[in-house]
Amino acid sequence: MAGDHAYSAGGLAIPESLEQLHTLIERVGAEQAHVPASDLSMVETAVIEIAGNLVAHGRPPGQVLYRFTLEVHPDRLRGVLADSGEPLPPDLQVAAADELADSGRGLFIAHAVLDEPTYEQGRDGNTWTMVRILRS
Amino acid sequence: MNITSRTAESSVAVIECDGRLNMVAAPSLRSHIEATVRDGRSRIVVDLGRTAFIDSSGLGALIAGLKRARQAGGDLRIAAPNEQVRTVLRLTNLDRVLRPYDRIEEATDGW
Repeated sequence: MAGDHAYSAGGLAIPESLEQLHTLIERVGAEQAHVPASDLSMVETAVIEIAGNLVAHGRPPGQVLYRFTLEVHPDRLRGVLADSGEPLPPDLQVAAADELADSGRGLFIAHAVLDEPTYEQGRDGNTWTMVRILRS
Repeated sequence: MNITSRTAESSVAVIECDGRLNMVAAPSLRSHIEATVRDGRSRIVVDLGRTAFIDSSGLGALIAGLKRARQAGGDLRIAAPNEQVRTVLRLTNLDRVLRPYDRIEEATDGW
């Protein structure tokens, strides 16, 4: 499709990888001026929550590889985060949290800011697809 | 993320978080708040004016800090959050518990 762009980053799912994802988002913001900052910021929020989950819970620990690709379309952002880890247990795929809990809100936030989040488990790993329809 | 603290009037501790408050930075905010409370200062304002981004780990650190401050007879407030931080607070309903103040002066007013 004309006007579409894709940005990618990848590596080991360790805490330092989160910085790479923030940097990728910054680049998209600088190069794709038509994308509203608020929509990009919500995609950043979702991918950091999902990637953070992978860093914290991915198995085997410290050995999971990830690849994130963000596609910029005229009407939407579409992110795909693929990892080589073992499947996440169901309670780490969707979550709601008790109000004053110290943790557990991550996936709830990711689901709240995305339009069509999906999670697929495969033989060679897992794939999160995150779509955000541009609001403005 | 860089965390600094100072004492404002009425011995309120102002903790400033410069950078991204994500899973890498959250433990250090937790320990900073813990140290502040142990030092005898349980009225805390976390200045988010230079906090570019927050995720659930960062929220967890703020909530843990709030509980700690209240246990010690004080409270924790937040000041100057940006749009992303306000949105995350709103989505999680934490804006009722951690009410965002626009400026530090408003957060410390009447304390």
